[in-house]
Amino acid sequence: MGNSRYFWSILLLSLALLGIGWIAVSKEPANHDIDLSDLVEAPIVGYLAPQFTLSSTMGEEMALADYRGQPVVLNFWASWCPPCRAEVPHFQDASLKYNGQAAILGIDQGEPLPIVADFASAFRLSYPLLLDQDNAVNRQYGVAALPTTVFVDANGVVSEVYTGIINGAVLEDRIERLLAE
Amino acid sequence: MYPTITIGPLVLPSAGLVYIVGAWVALSMVERSAKKLGLEADATYAMAVTAVAAGFIGARLLFVVFHWPAYQNNLIGVVWPLTGGFNFWGGMLFALSAAFLYGRARQLPLKASLDAMAPGLLVGFMVISLADFLSGPGYGTETGFPLGINVFGIRRHAVQIYEILVALIALIVWWRAYDYRQYDGQLFLMTTAVYAAGRLLVDAFRANSPLTSNGYHIVQIISLVVLLACVYLLGRMATNRETRDKPTRQNM
Repeated sequence: MGNSRYFWSILLLSLALLGIGWIAVSKEPANHDIDLSDLVEAPIVGYLAPQFTLSSTMGEEMALADYRGQPVVLNFWASWCPPCRAEVPHFQDASLKYNGQAAILGIDQGEPLPIVADFASAFRLSYPLLLDQDNAVNRQYGVAALPTTVFVDANGVVSEVYTGIINGAVLEDRIERLLAE
Repeated sequence: MYPTITIGPLVLPSAGLVYIVGAWVALSMVERSAKKLGLEADATYAMAVTAVAAGFIGARLLFVVFHWPAYQNNLIGVVWPLTGGFNFWGGMLFALSAAFLYGRARQLPLKASLDAMAPGLLVGFMVISLADFLSGPGYGTETGFPLGINVFGIRRHAVQIYEILVALIALIVWWRAYDYRQYDGQLFLMTTAVYAAGRLLVDAFRANSPLTSNGYHIVQIISLVVLLACVYLLGRMATNRETRDKPTRQNM
Protein backbone atom coordinates (compact mmCIF):
# COMPACT_ATOMS: atom_id res chain seq x y z
CA MET A 1 0.00 0.00 0.00
CA GLY A 2 2.87 2.35 0.78
CA ASN A 3 4.33 1.71 -2.67
CA SER A 4 0.96 2.34 -4.30
CA ARG A 5 0.48 5.63 -2.48
CA TYR A 6 4.02 6.62 -3.44
CA PHE A 7 3.30 5.78 -7.09
CA TRP A 8 0.14 7.87 -7.22
CA SER A 9 1.81 10.79 -5.45
CA ILE A 10 4.70 10.76 -7.92
CA LEU A 11 2.28 10.49 -10.83
CA LEU A 12 0.21 13.41 -9.57
CA LEU A 13 3.25 15.58 -9.00
CA SER A 14 4.71 14.72 -12.42
CA LEU A 15 1.47 15.52 -14.21
CA ALA A 16 1.15 18.79 -12.31
CA LEU A 17 4.68 19.86 -13.22
CA LEU A 18 4.34 18.81 -16.86
CA GLY A 19 0.94 20.45 -17.13
CA ILE A 20 2.09 23.73 -15.62
CA GLY A 21 5.17 23.67 -17.83
CA TRP A 22 3.10 23.12 -20.99
CA ILE A 23 0.68 25.87 -20.01
CA ALA A 24 3.63 28.21 -19.52
CA VAL A 25 5.11 27.26 -22.91
CA SER A 26 1.71 27.79 -24.57
CA LYS A 27 1.26 31.26 -23.10
CA GLU A 28 0.41 33.88 -25.69
CA PRO A 29 2.94 36.73 -25.97
CA ALA A 30 2.10 39.90 -24.05
CA ASN A 31 1.39 41.78 -27.23
CA HIS A 32 -0.70 39.18 -29.03
CA ASP A 33 -2.40 41.58 -31.35
CA ILE A 34 -3.04 40.16 -34.76
CA ASP A 35 -0.57 41.18 -37.46
CA LEU A 36 -3.06 42.05 -40.16
CA SER A 37 -0.40 42.05 -42.85
CA ASP A 38 -0.17 38.26 -42.40
CA LEU A 39 -3.87 37.72 -43.02
CA VAL A 40 -5.46 37.00 -46.36
CA GLU A 41 -8.97 37.82 -47.41
CA ALA A 42 -11.50 35.05 -47.09
CA PRO A 43 -15.11 34.87 -45.95
CA ILE A 44 -14.33 32.65 -42.98
CA VAL A 45 -13.56 33.22 -39.34
CA GLY A 46 -10.09 34.49 -38.61
CA TYR A 47 -9.48 35.90 -42.08
CA LEU A 48 -9.77 39.45 -43.35
CA ALA A 49 -13.26 40.16 -44.61
CA PRO A 50 -13.08 40.46 -48.40
CA GLN A 51 -13.09 44.10 -49.46
CA PHE A 52 -15.80 45.45 -51.71
CA THR A 53 -17.36 48.69 -52.89
CA LEU A 54 -21.06 48.85 -53.70
CA SER A 55 -23.64 51.53 -54.38
CA SER A 56 -26.33 52.20 -51.84
CA THR A 57 -29.96 52.96 -52.57
CA MET A 58 -29.08 56.61 -51.95
CA GLY A 59 -26.55 56.54 -54.78
CA GLU A 60 -23.46 56.60 -52.53
CA GLU A 61 -20.44 54.43 -53.22
CA MET A 62 -19.73 52.61 -49.97
CA ALA A 63 -16.65 50.52 -49.26
CA LEU A 64 -16.11 48.05 -46.42
CA ALA A 65 -12.73 49.70 -45.80
CA ASP A 66 -14.56 52.91 -44.86
CA TYR A 67 -15.68 51.16 -41.65
CA ARG A 68 -12.29 49.97 -40.44
CA GLY A 69 -12.04 50.75 -36.75
CA GLN A 70 -15.55 49.67 -35.81
CA PRO A 71 -17.40 46.36 -35.93
CA VAL A 72 -19.44 45.76 -39.07
CA VAL A 73 -22.44 43.51 -39.56
CA LEU A 74 -23.01 42.43 -43.18
CA ASN A 75 -26.50 41.09 -43.74
CA PHE A 76 -27.03 39.32 -47.07
CA TRP A 77 -30.71 39.34 -47.99
CA ALA A 78 -33.33 39.58 -50.73
CA SER A 79 -36.85 40.99 -50.78
CA TRP A 80 -38.37 37.67 -51.84
CA CYS A 81 -36.79 35.79 -48.90
CA PRO A 82 -39.33 35.36 -46.04
CA PRO A 83 -36.77 34.84 -43.23
CA CYS A 84 -34.92 37.95 -44.47
CA ARG A 85 -38.13 39.96 -44.18
CA ALA A 86 -38.73 38.56 -40.69
CA GLU A 87 -35.30 39.50 -39.35
CA VAL A 88 -34.92 42.91 -40.99
CA PRO A 89 -36.71 44.78 -38.13
CA HIS A 90 -34.05 43.43 -35.75
CA PHE A 91 -31.31 44.92 -37.91
CA GLN A 92 -33.13 48.23 -37.99
CA ASP A 93 -33.44 48.22 -34.19
CA ALA A 94 -29.77 47.32 -33.83
CA SER A 95 -28.69 50.03 -36.27
CA LEU A 96 -30.41 52.62 -34.09
CA LYS A 97 -29.16 51.16 -30.82
CA TYR A 98 -25.54 50.87 -31.93
CA ASN A 99 -25.43 53.97 -34.11
CA GLY A 100 -21.88 55.27 -34.13
CA GLN A 101 -20.50 52.14 -32.46
CA ALA A 102 -21.08 49.44 -35.03
CA ALA A 103 -22.10 49.60 -38.66
CA ILE A 104 -24.88 47.53 -40.19
CA LEU A 105 -24.91 47.06 -43.96
CA GLY A 106 -27.60 45.20 -45.84
CA ILE A 107 -26.29 43.63 -49.05
CA ASP A 108 -29.09 42.76 -51.45
CA GLN A 109 -28.74 39.76 -53.69
CA GLY A 110 -29.16 40.67 -57.34
CA GLU A 111 -32.22 42.91 -57.24
CA PRO A 112 -32.64 46.26 -59.01
CA LEU A 113 -32.77 49.61 -57.23
CA PRO A 114 -36.57 50.13 -57.38
CA ILE A 115 -37.28 46.84 -55.58
CA VAL A 116 -34.68 47.47 -52.90
CA ALA A 117 -35.81 51.07 -52.43
CA ASP A 118 -39.45 50.00 -52.09
CA PHE A 119 -38.42 47.39 -49.54
CA ALA A 120 -36.51 49.98 -47.52
CA SER A 121 -39.50 52.27 -47.58
CA ALA A 122 -41.97 49.55 -46.61
CA PHE A 123 -39.87 48.43 -43.64
CA ARG A 124 -38.71 51.96 -42.76
CA LEU A 125 -35.06 51.00 -42.88
CA SER A 126 -32.48 53.69 -42.21
CA TYR A 127 -29.26 51.67 -42.38
CA PRO A 128 -27.43 51.42 -45.71
CA LEU A 129 -28.80 48.91 -48.20
CA LEU A 130 -26.21 48.06 -50.85
CA LEU A 131 -26.96 46.80 -54.34
CA ASP A 132 -25.06 43.71 -55.43
CA GLN A 133 -26.81 43.39 -58.77
CA ASP A 134 -24.31 41.01 -60.38
CA ASN A 135 -23.95 39.03 -57.11
CA ALA A 136 -20.19 39.51 -57.17
CA VAL A 137 -19.99 40.25 -53.44
CA ASN A 138 -22.42 37.43 -52.64
CA ARG A 139 -20.06 35.07 -54.49
CA GLN A 140 -17.05 36.66 -52.84
CA TYR A 141 -18.57 35.82 -49.45
CA GLY A 142 -19.71 32.37 -50.54
CA VAL A 143 -23.32 33.09 -49.65
CA ALA A 144 -25.10 29.78 -50.23
CA ALA A 145 -28.34 30.55 -48.45
CA LEU A 146 -30.33 33.58 -47.43
CA PRO A 147 -30.20 35.18 -45.00
CA THR A 148 -26.54 35.07 -44.10
CA THR A 149 -24.99 37.48 -41.65
CA VAL A 150 -21.25 38.05 -41.42
CA PHE A 151 -19.84 39.70 -38.31
CA VAL A 152 -16.59 41.60 -38.87
CA ASP A 153 -14.56 42.96 -35.97
CA ALA A 154 -13.00 46.42 -35.75
CA ASN A 155 -9.77 45.11 -37.33
CA GLY A 156 -11.66 43.93 -40.39
CA VAL A 157 -11.37 40.25 -39.42
CA VAL A 158 -14.35 37.93 -39.85
CA SER A 159 -15.62 36.98 -36.42
CA GLU A 160 -18.59 34.80 -37.31
CA VAL A 161 -20.62 33.68 -40.30
CA TYR A 162 -24.22 33.15 -39.22
CA THR A 163 -26.45 31.28 -41.63
CA GLY A 164 -30.20 31.50 -41.26
CA ILE A 165 -32.63 33.84 -39.61
CA ILE A 166 -31.20 35.69 -36.63
CA ASN A 167 -33.30 37.06 -33.82
CA GLY A 168 -32.76 40.39 -32.15
CA ALA A 169 -31.21 39.03 -28.97
CA VAL A 170 -28.61 36.96 -30.81
CA LEU A 171 -27.80 39.92 -33.05
CA GLU A 172 -27.30 42.18 -30.03
CA ASP A 173 -25.30 39.52 -28.25
CA ARG A 174 -22.89 39.23 -31.19
CA ILE A 175 -22.53 42.99 -31.57
CA GLU A 176 -21.91 43.41 -27.85
CA ARG A 177 -19.16 40.78 -28.04
CA LEU A 178 -17.50 42.63 -30.92
CA LEU A 179 -17.71 45.91 -29.05
CA ALA A 180 -16.19 44.30 -25.96
CA GLU A 181 -13.09 43.12 -27.85
CA MET B 1 -15.32 26.14 -43.50
CA TYR B 2 -18.64 24.52 -44.40
CA PRO B 3 -21.36 26.40 -42.57
CA THR B 4 -24.02 24.86 -44.79
CA ILE B 5 -24.60 21.53 -46.45
CA THR B 6 -26.42 21.50 -49.78
CA ILE B 7 -28.63 18.49 -50.53
CA GLY B 8 -30.38 19.10 -53.83
CA PRO B 9 -32.48 22.23 -53.42
CA LEU B 10 -32.05 22.24 -49.65
CA VAL B 11 -29.35 24.29 -47.92
CA LEU B 12 -29.07 23.15 -44.33
CA PRO B 13 -26.94 24.50 -41.48
CA SER B 14 -24.16 21.97 -40.96
CA ALA B 15 -23.74 22.56 -37.22
CA GLY B 16 -27.40 21.94 -36.51
CA LEU B 17 -27.39 18.71 -38.49
CA VAL B 18 -24.27 17.53 -36.71
CA TYR B 19 -25.82 18.24 -33.30
CA ILE B 20 -29.00 16.32 -34.11
CA VAL B 21 -27.20 13.27 -35.47
CA GLY B 22 -24.57 13.49 -32.75
CA ALA B 23 -27.15 13.55 -29.97
CA TRP B 24 -28.68 10.37 -31.35
CA VAL B 25 -25.28 8.65 -31.55
CA ALA B 26 -24.32 9.80 -28.04
CA LEU B 27 -27.56 8.54 -26.52
CA SER B 28 -27.15 5.21 -28.33
CA MET B 29 -23.66 4.91 -26.85
CA VAL B 30 -25.02 5.51 -23.34
CA GLU B 31 -27.62 2.76 -23.76
CA ARG B 32 -25.05 0.34 -25.14
CA SER B 33 -22.58 1.11 -22.36
CA ALA B 34 -25.25 0.67 -19.69
CA LYS B 35 -26.11 -2.77 -21.06
CA LYS B 36 -22.44 -3.71 -21.14
CA LEU B 37 -22.06 -2.66 -17.50
CA GLY B 38 -25.13 -4.60 -16.43
CA LEU B 39 -27.13 -1.51 -15.48
CA GLU B 40 -30.79 -0.78 -16.16
CA ALA B 41 -30.27 0.28 -19.78
CA ASP B 42 -33.72 1.84 -20.19
CA ALA B 43 -33.41 3.93 -17.03
CA THR B 44 -29.87 5.03 -17.87
CA TYR B 45 -30.93 5.94 -21.40
CA ALA B 46 -33.89 7.89 -20.02
CA MET B 47 -31.54 9.75 -17.66
CA ALA B 48 -29.33 10.71 -20.59
CA VAL B 49 -32.32 11.86 -22.66
CA THR B 50 -33.52 13.89 -19.69
CA ALA B 51 -30.09 15.50 -19.41
CA VAL B 52 -29.97 16.37 -23.13
CA ALA B 53 -33.48 17.83 -23.11
CA ALA B 54 -32.87 19.76 -19.88
CA GLY B 55 -29.56 21.03 -21.24
CA PHE B 56 -31.21 22.30 -24.41
CA ILE B 57 -34.00 24.03 -22.50
CA GLY B 58 -31.64 25.38 -19.84
CA ALA B 59 -29.21 26.79 -22.39
CA ARG B 60 -32.03 28.60 -24.16
CA LEU B 61 -33.66 29.75 -20.91
CA LEU B 62 -30.51 31.31 -19.55
CA PHE B 63 -29.77 33.10 -22.81
CA VAL B 64 -33.31 34.52 -22.85
CA VAL B 65 -32.95 35.66 -19.23
CA PHE B 66 -29.66 37.43 -19.97
CA HIS B 67 -31.16 39.12 -23.04
CA TRP B 68 -34.68 39.66 -21.75
CA PRO B 69 -35.06 43.25 -23.05
CA ALA B 70 -34.73 41.89 -26.59
CA TYR B 71 -37.36 39.23 -26.00
CA GLN B 72 -39.98 40.99 -23.90
CA ASN B 73 -41.65 42.54 -26.94
CA ASN B 74 -41.07 39.48 -29.08
CA LEU B 75 -42.06 36.46 -27.01
CA ILE B 76 -42.26 34.22 -30.09
CA GLY B 77 -38.50 34.76 -30.40
CA VAL B 78 -38.04 32.68 -27.22
CA VAL B 79 -39.03 29.51 -29.07
CA TRP B 80 -38.20 30.43 -32.69
CA PRO B 81 -35.80 30.69 -34.42
CA LEU B 82 -33.57 28.21 -32.64
CA THR B 83 -30.56 28.62 -34.90
CA GLY B 84 -28.79 30.67 -32.26
CA GLY B 85 -29.09 31.98 -28.74
CA PHE B 86 -27.93 29.35 -26.28
CA ASN B 87 -25.90 29.73 -23.12
CA PHE B 88 -23.40 26.89 -22.74
CA TRP B 89 -23.07 27.11 -18.95
CA GLY B 90 -26.83 27.26 -18.50
CA GLY B 91 -27.12 24.13 -20.56
CA MET B 92 -24.47 22.33 -18.54
CA LEU B 93 -26.05 23.36 -15.24
CA PHE B 94 -29.51 22.18 -16.23
CA ALA B 95 -28.22 18.97 -17.83
CA LEU B 96 -26.16 17.92 -14.82
CA SER B 97 -28.90 18.85 -12.36
CA ALA B 98 -31.56 16.98 -14.32
CA ALA B 99 -29.37 13.89 -14.65
CA PHE B 100 -28.58 13.93 -10.94
CA LEU B 101 -32.20 14.38 -9.87
CA TYR B 102 -33.47 11.76 -12.30
CA GLY B 103 -30.80 9.31 -11.18
CA ARG B 104 -31.72 9.82 -7.55
CA ALA B 105 -35.42 9.43 -8.27
CA ARG B 106 -34.81 6.15 -10.09
CA GLN B 107 -32.18 5.13 -7.50
CA LEU B 108 -29.55 4.57 -10.13
CA PRO B 109 -26.02 3.90 -8.82
CA LEU B 110 -24.11 7.16 -9.24
CA LYS B 111 -20.63 5.89 -10.02
CA ALA B 112 -21.76 3.09 -12.33
CA SER B 113 -24.07 5.53 -14.11
CA LEU B 114 -21.14 7.89 -14.67
CA ASP B 115 -19.22 4.99 -16.21
CA ALA B 116 -22.15 4.38 -18.57
CA MET B 117 -22.49 8.06 -19.46
CA ALA B 118 -18.80 8.55 -20.23
CA PRO B 119 -18.88 7.25 -23.85
CA GLY B 120 -21.94 9.41 -24.57
CA LEU B 121 -20.20 12.47 -23.15
CA LEU B 122 -17.14 11.79 -25.28
CA VAL B 123 -19.28 11.48 -28.40
CA GLY B 124 -20.91 14.75 -27.37
CA PHE B 125 -17.53 16.45 -27.21
CA MET B 126 -16.66 15.02 -30.62
CA VAL B 127 -19.87 16.44 -32.00
CA ILE B 128 -19.14 19.90 -30.60
CA SER B 129 -15.65 19.84 -32.15
CA LEU B 130 -17.00 18.63 -35.51
CA ALA B 131 -19.67 21.35 -35.57
CA ASP B 132 -16.97 23.87 -34.68
CA PHE B 133 -14.81 22.58 -37.56
CA LEU B 134 -17.62 22.73 -40.11
CA SER B 135 -19.11 26.09 -39.17
CA GLY B 136 -15.76 27.64 -38.40
CA PRO B 137 -16.02 29.71 -35.22
CA GLY B 138 -12.71 28.30 -33.99
CA TYR B 139 -9.47 27.82 -35.88
CA GLY B 140 -5.91 26.70 -35.34
CA THR B 141 -2.63 28.57 -35.32
CA GLU B 142 -0.57 28.75 -38.47
CA THR B 143 1.78 25.87 -39.11
CA GLY B 144 4.15 24.28 -41.59
CA PHE B 145 3.05 20.85 -40.38
CA PRO B 146 2.12 18.81 -43.49
CA LEU B 147 -1.12 17.60 -41.93
CA GLY B 148 -2.34 21.13 -41.33
CA ILE B 149 -5.38 22.30 -43.22
CA ASN B 150 -4.72 24.65 -46.12
CA VAL B 151 -7.44 27.27 -46.16
CA PHE B 152 -7.19 30.08 -48.69
CA GLY B 153 -3.42 29.68 -48.87
CA ILE B 154 -2.80 29.62 -45.12
CA ARG B 155 -1.93 26.29 -43.49
CA ARG B 156 -3.38 25.96 -40.02
CA HIS B 157 -3.52 23.30 -37.34
CA ALA B 158 -6.74 21.32 -37.65
CA VAL B 159 -7.27 21.81 -33.94
CA GLN B 160 -10.88 20.61 -33.94
CA ILE B 161 -9.74 17.36 -35.60
CA TYR B 162 -7.12 16.99 -32.88
CA GLU B 163 -9.90 17.37 -30.28
CA ILE B 164 -11.95 14.68 -32.02
CA LEU B 165 -8.92 12.36 -31.98
CA VAL B 166 -8.43 13.04 -28.26
CA ALA B 167 -12.03 12.06 -27.57
CA LEU B 168 -11.59 8.97 -29.73
CA ILE B 169 -8.51 7.93 -27.76
CA ALA B 170 -10.44 8.41 -24.52
CA LEU B 171 -13.24 6.27 -25.96
CA ILE B 172 -10.76 3.53 -26.85
CA VAL B 173 -9.39 3.70 -23.30
CA TRP B 174 -12.95 3.15 -21.99
CA TRP B 175 -13.50 0.07 -24.14
CA ARG B 176 -10.06 -1.38 -23.43
CA ALA B 177 -10.20 -0.69 -19.68
CA TYR B 178 -13.69 -2.17 -19.37
CA ASP B 179 -12.35 -5.70 -18.91
CA TYR B 180 -9.91 -4.59 -16.20
CA ARG B 181 -12.07 -2.26 -14.18
CA GLN B 182 -12.02 -2.86 -10.45
CA TYR B 183 -14.64 -0.50 -9.09
CA ASP B 184 -17.52 1.69 -10.18
CA GLY B 185 -16.47 5.12 -11.33
CA GLN B 186 -13.05 3.98 -12.48
CA LEU B 187 -13.90 4.08 -16.19
CA PHE B 188 -15.39 7.55 -15.89
CA LEU B 189 -12.35 8.91 -14.06
CA MET B 190 -9.89 7.28 -16.46
CA THR B 191 -11.56 8.53 -19.61
CA THR B 192 -12.06 12.00 -18.15
CA ALA B 193 -8.38 12.12 -17.22
CA VAL B 194 -7.32 11.06 -20.73
CA TYR B 195 -9.64 13.60 -22.38
CA ALA B 196 -8.51 16.38 -20.07
CA ALA B 197 -4.86 15.57 -20.76
CA GLY B 198 -5.54 15.67 -24.48
CA ARG B 199 -7.32 19.02 -24.32
CA LEU B 200 -4.49 20.41 -22.21
CA LEU B 201 -2.11 19.45 -25.00
CA VAL B 202 -4.21 20.41 -27.99
CA ASP B 203 -5.58 23.77 -26.89
CA ALA B 204 -2.10 25.24 -27.30
CA PHE B 205 -2.70 25.06 -31.05
CA ARG B 206 -5.99 26.94 -31.04
CA ALA B 207 -5.68 30.48 -32.37
CA ASN B 208 -8.73 32.05 -30.77
CA SER B 209 -8.81 30.25 -27.44
CA PRO B 210 -10.12 32.32 -24.50
CA LEU B 211 -7.20 33.74 -22.54
CA THR B 212 -6.58 35.13 -19.08
CA SER B 213 -5.38 38.71 -18.86
CA ASN B 214 -1.81 37.34 -18.79
CA GLY B 215 -2.23 35.34 -21.97
CA TYR B 216 -2.71 31.85 -20.50
CA HIS B 217 -5.20 29.50 -22.16
CA ILE B 218 -8.22 29.15 -19.89
CA VAL B 219 -9.17 25.76 -21.35
CA GLN B 220 -5.70 24.44 -20.55
CA ILE B 221 -5.97 25.56 -16.93
CA ILE B 222 -9.39 23.93 -16.52
CA SER B 223 -8.14 20.77 -18.23
CA LEU B 224 -5.15 20.52 -15.88
CA VAL B 225 -7.36 20.95 -12.82
CA VAL B 226 -9.74 18.24 -14.07
CA LEU B 227 -6.83 15.92 -14.94
CA LEU B 228 -5.24 16.28 -11.50
CA ALA B 229 -8.59 15.84 -9.75
CA CYS B 230 -9.28 12.62 -11.66
CA VAL B 231 -5.81 11.21 -11.00
CA TYR B 232 -6.11 12.10 -7.32
CA LEU B 233 -9.48 10.34 -7.06
CA LEU B 234 -8.18 7.31 -8.97
CA GLY B 235 -5.23 7.08 -6.59
CA ARG B 236 -7.39 7.50 -3.53
CA MET B 237 -9.87 4.84 -4.66
CA ALA B 238 -7.05 2.47 -5.55
CA THR B 239 -5.31 2.87 -2.19
CA ASN B 240 -8.62 2.61 -0.29
CA ARG B 241 -9.29 -0.70 -2.04
CA GLU B 242 -5.81 -1.92 -1.12
CA THR B 243 -6.41 -0.97 2.50
CA ARG B 244 -9.74 -2.76 2.52
CA ASP B 245 -8.40 -5.87 0.80
CA LYS B 246 -5.21 -6.08 2.85
CA PRO B 247 -5.35 -9.08 5.18
CA THR B 248 -5.29 -8.11 8.87
CA ARG B 249 -3.48 -10.00 11.65
CA GLN B 250 -6.83 -11.41 12.82
CA ASN B 251 -7.62 -12.79 9.36
CA MET B 252 -4.26 -14.46 8.91
